[in-house]
Amino acid sequence: MLEGAESLRLWGETLRALGRSPGAVIGGGLLLAILATSLLFPWFTAADPLAQDLLARLTPPCWQEGGSLAHPLGTDNLGRDVLVRILHGSRVSLFVGFAAVLVACGSGILLGLLSGYYGGRLDSLIMRVADVFMAYPFMLLTISVIAVLGNSILNLILVLGLSDWVTYARTVRGSVLSIKEKEFVTAARSVGTPNRVILRRHIFPNVLSPVLVLGTVRVANIIIWESGLSFLGMGVPPPMPTWGRMLAEGRVYITDAWWLVTLPGLAIMLTILAINLLGDGLRDALDPRLRNIPR
Amino acid sequence: MRKTAIILAVLWAAALAVQPAAAKDPDTLVVVQEAEPVGLDIMQSSIQTTMSVGYNLHDTILKPQEDATVKPGLVEKWEKLNDLTWKFTLVKGATFHNGEPIDAAAVKFSFERLMGDALKSPHRGKLNLFKGVEVIDERTFTMSTSEPYAPGLYMLAQYLFIVPPKYVQQVGDAEYNLKPVGCGPYRLERWVKGQEVVMTAYEKYYGPKPAYKRLIFRGVPEEASRIAALLTGEADVVSGIPMHQRPKILASGKAYLTDQMGSMNYLGLNTYEKPFNDVRVRQAVNHGVNRELINQALFQGKAILCRGPISPRTFGADPTLKPYPYDPEKAKKLLAEAGYPNGFEARLAYGTYMPQIQEQAEAIAADLGKIGIRVKLEPYERAVMWERYKNRQHQMFIYFWDDAPEPDRYMYSLFHSKSRDYYYKNETVDRLLEKGRTTLDPAERAKVYHQIDRFLYEDAPWVYLYVIPEVYAVSNAVEYKGLRDGYLIMSTARPRK
Amino acid sequence: MARYILKRLWHTVYVAVGISLISFFFIHLSGDPVLLMLPPDASKEEVETLREQLGFNDPLAVQYLRFAGHALRGDLGVSLVHRVPALDLIFERLPASLELAGAAMLFALAVAVPLGILAAVRRGSLLDLGSMLAALFGLSMPHFWLGIMLVLLFSVHLGWFPTSGRGSFAQLVLPALALGLSLLAMFARLTRSVMLEVLGQDYVRTARAKGLRERLVIGKHALKNALIPLVTVAGMQFGFLIGGTVIIETVFAWPGVGRLVVQAIFSRDYPLVQAAVLVLAVLFVLINLLVDLLYVLLDPQISYGGGS
Repeated sequence: MLEGAESLRLWGETLRALGRSPGAVIGGGLLLAILATSLLFPWFTAADPLAQDLLARLTPPCWQEGGSLAHPLGTDNLGRDVLVRILHGSRVSLFVGFAAVLVACGSGILLGLLSGYYGGRLDSLIMRVADVFMAYPFMLLTISVIAVLGNSILNLILVLGLSDWVTYARTVRGSVLSIKEKEFVTAARSVGTPNRVILRRHIFPNVLSPVLVLGTVRVANIIIWESGLSFLGMGVPPPMPTWGRMLAEGRVYITDAWWLVTLPGLAIMLTILAINLLGDGLRDALDPRLRNIPR
Repeated sequence: MRKTAIILAVLWAAALAVQPAAAKDPDTLVVVQEAEPVGLDIMQSSIQTTMSVGYNLHDTILKPQEDATVKPGLVEKWEKLNDLTWKFTLVKGATFHNGEPIDAAAVKFSFERLMGDALKSPHRGKLNLFKGVEVIDERTFTMSTSEPYAPGLYMLAQYLFIVPPKYVQQVGDAEYNLKPVGCGPYRLERWVKGQEVVMTAYEKYYGPKPAYKRLIFRGVPEEASRIAALLTGEADVVSGIPMHQRPKILASGKAYLTDQMGSMNYLGLNTYEKPFNDVRVRQAVNHGVNRELINQALFQGKAILCRGPISPRTFGADPTLKPYPYDPEKAKKLLAEAGYPNGFEARLAYGTYMPQIQEQAEAIAADLGKIGIRVKLEPYERAVMWERYKNRQHQMFIYFWDDAPEPDRYMYSLFHSKSRDYYYKNETVDRLLEKGRTTLDPAERAKVYHQIDRFLYEDAPWVYLYVIPEVYAVSNAVEYKGLRDGYLIMSTARPRK
Repeated sequence: MARYILKRLWHTVYVAVGISLISFFFIHLSGDPVLLMLPPDASKEEVETLREQLGFNDPLAVQYLRFAGHALRGDLGVSLVHRVPALDLIFERLPASLELAGAAMLFALAVAVPLGILAAVRRGSLLDLGSMLAALFGLSMPHFWLGIMLVLLFSVHLGWFPTSGRGSFAQLVLPALALGLSLLAMFARLTRSVMLEVLGQDYVRTARAKGLRERLVIGKHALKNALIPLVTVAGMQFGFLIGGTVIIETVFAWPGVGRLVVQAIFSRDYPLVQAAVLVLAVLFVLINLLVDLLYVLLDPQISYGGGS
């Protein structure tokens, strides 16, 4: 039913549906702009996000008294340029967010596919492990892993990713269970197609959409969560800035340097807004039931 | 839906009906620290916030002073019998909060409890030169050391806490940690875990009575929340105020600031390995850190620049030394002489729990970058930092010690090879440190520490940074002056007229 | 039904065993607490003696079995830092955690459900757009930031609520608000999307077509079906909240379990971390069991007898 051309057609339709939703267009556009900025800004500025000027610390943004165009968005507690740091921070924050989701998604999809398709003992083993992970206090797991392994970017991505695989695995497993009884799968099996091929070619493409929706939104959560970890002193290690750490470190200056907490906060907010708008649009587009609701 | 609307309305009304905390009882003093105590038996913990609570419930036998001398406390007079032995006489009629008498037997019991294996007290190393307590009669006892020990009385004043033998034996150590009976100016009323420790003035206290009838300690970890509590009048005394908050607190017109003991931060170097095994490299690093600018920028110029390893405020610091001047050119020259014309890469570890540490580490790293040392920052939380420290895994590390009034307290612990042979060892220093603790004449003793200070200044096993005085904010309604030895002894607080 | 509950209780047991295994081995990889428990000038012999006393010299498997054996008798060890039984410490703090999580949850649901329904019913209206945009902002504020802002506004500036601590109702308001706002955003979005889905279903359309009053359609048919996913998510979130409010607890000096455990992690207080993880996990499973049983109340058609 959903093979080859058919599957392509569906994706095309989804994209078209996305195009019809103003939220998705705005969100997608915004996200593209943010990604492009974070990738391309080095062509326009070579300023060092770590360059300090202790004598010019806590300079306000240029439109405020005492500010200067040399630092359009002001400087932080060590006299570093806030704009340059936000730009550099975007790379780390977005990278951590997307990479962690990728890890979670990847392991979740894999385990969900195996669990749903093969069933039996493997299924119950994976699902039991999932139960345990689900019940393990996630926050404490993250904190204790980082406390032990140290807070490198890699550790952060792995732990944030691996503590989140259960949701994906369960979602995928559910979809697999319903798909594997479908005609096109049983047909493939009856002509002796190996399981590996069936999984890759027939099942995998058809379980992606709910995971995609889930994943987009989780990127946003992880960016926030990294900020919370920074607050506890366990986020991405210094000196590379992330939005979350700028926010967490700026909080002690909350009453005398508003720009330190407001501007990176704004960056987070915009990104999350974009991601969520896109995610909502994606969900609407992928779920035909929602399309038929009278307005 | 109507139901939810009603619930909402009720919640909102309830929220509005609650008045802000009613005017506080003028007889109550509220102290807010960064953490609540982990226990109330002061013998069982060496955490500063815990000990600050404990010092109000428990007394030692003497009162430690800012210049490393002592004044009478539970012990009203003492005399030196010989270089190894002191004889002490207790005040008459002093009692524990449960009425048990404070006698020489109680002192003996307390010393033995502190040093015993059962308690595993973190303080026992501090008194291990003392051999024991000999009871002479009810009010007199002697204590002797295995070798002449100059800081002896001061150490007793700081760490020989007196506990009631009968009560302790009756309830056991675990229970005593929750419901201690002490002999300090305040007695425990209740400890609501996670919320507050409430104490009331002990009416039969042998010393001067505290001005406030009631004393409450709370723990609030977040700095912004602590300051908020001060500004709203919920707290009278607040600890852990970073320097940059000074102007704001003063400007509020609601509180003033007082300094206490400082945190003496230093940048340790692993002198056992390249490149810091070369004294020229170590001196170069000392010339490469712009302490003065860091002080101006991060501490409003209120930190005290260090010269050598002994805090400028501590007995024995050599007054003729000057802090290493900031001189990047000289630093580069020294590095080149040592064979590093292009600098090198180095790791710099620090504990994330230290106040304002991130800023300091990044500022120092930037300074070192200018002389060609490319620094990789390694933030660790408390336990890991300590573990790696003990395992000699650090290359450069920022640590700290209180700038206590008694130099032996930290100099012996940090530099004697019998104590911490982790990153530096020197026979001359060992010998001088031993001489310092056994020289009883103060003038002679000062000379020994001057010598140590100068030697280590030259040999530079650390980059000497600065002492950051610990700042306490005090409500304008209260008169309180921070004490040099660092604990919140609230019996010295008075209402302000 | 009874069989179902039994099965779920068995589920609790294996989750508990799994959790205890993971946390046990993980924590023991994390470093040596003995070095932390002794003063810096302790001798090597002192270190060894203490290690022996605490049983850290035995093989890990032996240590685990010993732990499991004690745990079966309700003894989860003594905190190394606080020097009292770990379980006592946790149960002292648990009421505070439950109180905060419960208040935040109540507040969030009370506002989010009506808001989500209204937004769904008037899909595309200004109210829908506005509230969903607000929800997105709610989702994008880190807890600590929101908490500090609330303190500055409501305590320092307006003087309505105390800054921190626990004891009175007034002290509960700000932390519950800070915690509840992001939940509110999540629930409002969830309610809206579930309602949209339900409103598109045939039986609702039939009911509408039959000319039933709109309020009845929504209240009786749609809401009831929308409640199930909402309850699931709320139950799960409640489980997370009990141990997962470290940040809010830190900002408001709230004496909950989260901060206790994070402190314990930092100071390598093995027994306490272990006990807390175990207690929180079991609570999580039990709460979810309760939620499942709640379904039966919500929808008598679901039954947990034998069969499928």
